[in-house]
Amino acid sequence: MTAVEHGRAGAALAWRRAALVGLGFGAGALHLAAVGVLLMLHQRWIVIDTLSLGQATVLLLAGGAGAMAARDADARLARGALAGLCATLPLALLSLAMDAVTLQPIFIVLTPDLQAMLTLGMPPLLAAPALLLVGVAAGLLGAALRAIPALSRALLPGAIAVLIAGVFQELIQLMLQQYEGPVGEARDFVYTWEGLTQQGAVTVFVVVTLIAQLAGRAARGRVAAMEPARRRQIWAGIALAAIVILPAAAGSYIGQVLMLVGLYILMGIGLNLEVGLAGLLDLGFVAFFAVGAYSTALLTADAPNALMHLSYWAAMPISVLLAVCVGVLFGLPVLGVRGDYLAVATMGLGEIVRVIVLSDFGAPLLGGAQGVLHIPKPQIGSYTLSSPVALFYLTLVAAAIAAFIAWRLENSRLGRAWMALRDDEDVAQALGINLVRSKLLAYGLGAAFAGLAGSIFATMLSSVYPSSFQLLISINVLALIIVGGMGSLPGVVLGSVVLIGLPELLREFGEYRYLFYGAVLVVMMRLRPEGLWPSDVRQRELHAGDETAALDAGADLLPARE
Amino acid sequence: MSLLQVDDIHVYYDKIHALKGISVHVEEGEIVTLVGGNGAGKSTTLRAISGLLHPRDGAIRFEGKALGGLGAHDIAALGIRHVPEGRRVFGRLTIAENLDMGAFTRRDRRVAKDDREQMLALFPRLRERYRQLAGTLSGGEQQMLATARALMGKPRLLLMDEPSMGLAPMMVEQVFETMGRIKAEGVTILLVEQNAPMALGVADRGYVLESGQIVLEGAGRDLLGDERVQRAYLG
Repeated sequence: MTAVEHGRAGAALAWRRAALVGLGFGAGALHLAAVGVLLMLHQRWIVIDTLSLGQATVLLLAGGAGAMAARDADARLARGALAGLCATLPLALLSLAMDAVTLQPIFIVLTPDLQAMLTLGMPPLLAAPALLLVGVAAGLLGAALRAIPALSRALLPGAIAVLIAGVFQELIQLMLQQYEGPVGEARDFVYTWEGLTQQGAVTVFVVVTLIAQLAGRAARGRVAAMEPARRRQIWAGIALAAIVILPAAAGSYIGQVLMLVGLYILMGIGLNLEVGLAGLLDLGFVAFFAVGAYSTALLTADAPNALMHLSYWAAMPISVLLAVCVGVLFGLPVLGVRGDYLAVATMGLGEIVRVIVLSDFGAPLLGGAQGVLHIPKPQIGSYTLSSPVALFYLTLVAAAIAAFIAWRLENSRLGRAWMALRDDEDVAQALGINLVRSKLLAYGLGAAFAGLAGSIFATMLSSVYPSSFQLLISINVLALIIVGGMGSLPGVVLGSVVLIGLPELLREFGEYRYLFYGAVLVVMMRLRPEGLWPSDVRQRELHAGDETAALDAGADLLPARE
Repeated sequence: MSLLQVDDIHVYYDKIHALKGISVHVEEGEIVTLVGGNGAGKSTTLRAISGLLHPRDGAIRFEGKALGGLGAHDIAALGIRHVPEGRRVFGRLTIAENLDMGAFTRRDRRVAKDDREQMLALFPRLRERYRQLAGTLSGGEQQMLATARALMGKPRLLLMDEPSMGLAPMMVEQVFETMGRIKAEGVTILLVEQNAPMALGVADRGYVLESGQIVLEGAGRDLLGDERVQRAYLG
């Protein structure tokens, strides 16, 4: 084959790939339409009377396809357009098909409403080409954004801001509701209860674009000059400040969501010790959470089956201690079990705890399915921590202490022992590491954090029920560790926000949010298996060939002998 | 009194009688080797000594102290270090960190740093790659690292399991040459090898194992010359 033929074959391949990428996104769009997500999203305005969330989704899919197809050096825009065309093709065909035959008996969500959305009220023979044209335009735009950085810098911040302001409009309005005066007026200008007004959308876009331009010009040089580690620190600082200040400013709903995030951070830190550091895959983690919650309930509640009526502050350490004991007991039977088998064994142990709590056998003490009610709120002096925001700050303090302890542990003798055991149990023992003690400590310490979370959980809800301690909690905690980055503390925080916080904020989308949850998990594992914020060791492992990474990471270095 | 005294130990894997009464003694300052074919029980013997396996019968004494009932980490703390078969280094740690892991049982970090320097003198190749991830080392270098890591614990007795396995001939020679230098540092070595000629060449004494029993023992050179050994292992 000559070089020219080679080039021609390569180009043909690239065109085919662009079309396939587009069809892939198109299949996604078709799926969303067929399960009813698209129509549901269409019923929400981003900008009133202009752009619905459903339409935005279709545009984003086509644009995304265009951006993905535009990765080669030549003919980027044309390939983007092709991908955009292919991304809307399935929907266009669907709208034609819906016109020709009645599909609703088979796919119940393929309603006339959906038809109306896809055609924008135009006759179908005109609407299908129009939809394709929109796809081409979106694909072109997507490709252009990728090909021309200056363009994306100019457009993206404003567009993203409008999208966020539109999607989270209910939440943002809820936050702003408590304010009067200029804030209230600005709110009325930008929002109605249905969504962003047209003038509001333009305002948000212009303001954010301006700010981004100004800030970008000021910071670009410096940020680019910064080391990645330093940049990450700054981001972490900003995120931390937001977490600390936001609930106080934003009211109780956000406080509640962040509180839940905080509890999962606590549990994540605990499970991270077990899974991330010691390599013990534990699917029964919820048991320790349950022990912490029930201990606090039985020690403080104003209920007939309560054992004592201690103050919360006295009950909390006892609950943590009990969780540790259960953690160690939990570890004993599974000491010799490894890997997949360990996951199944611990899952069984976790279920045992839930079944005991639910059983008639434990009912006189634990209250069976009715649970334990009337758990008092913690008090400081005469002040009762009753509001979600106050309890959030309690969680925040607990999480901060937990994070500090976990951080110290990671770099301690015990942390190194865990790491060695995780890599090779035989070698670790031969180096003098006590297998039994190290493993039991991992279970015990992990359980301590979960017990603390459970204790706060009990006082937050004022009641505990067996149904709160499902296997799903263990799985959620494990998932957030993996998504955040195994063995990494900032990863735990990030994972909790993404997997616990976002679904809570998207509550208005009902059960569909689990669809997004699942999609996020799959996409993450494909694109970033090391997690959002991987630990140093993990990162090194995945870039083992990269010697400089190892050089950067070497803490105390011996000078080479002259 | 021998440094290590293994008396008639029996080890079972479930119902399989793997060691049928092995008795071995190692004197201070010696290199002693166990040679034999696959499945003869060489590695099993080492695992029993280091506490990774527990014999059903018999006794193991180290400096006169019975090791029965002790865990592997306790035995390591007494001064026996096991370098397991297959060069199991911590691949995602650097060489420096691997060496530090070897000093795990010792709390005096300052001395450990001197020891690290000593290891690098013993294995100059490791100094060149000091900050590299252990997983990126060649097989021979990983064997050196595994040995150096074990030596970081200042053992009296080093148990080496098949250090030459899978290495290039030049590397094999280097491995055996370092063994002499380790001996010169005052560390006693119990060596398990399939490469009988090399092992018997470097060892003071040797034992020949066959299906869980000792069939021959004697000075390394004598065994090397023994007709039966010649026939069985040297072709």
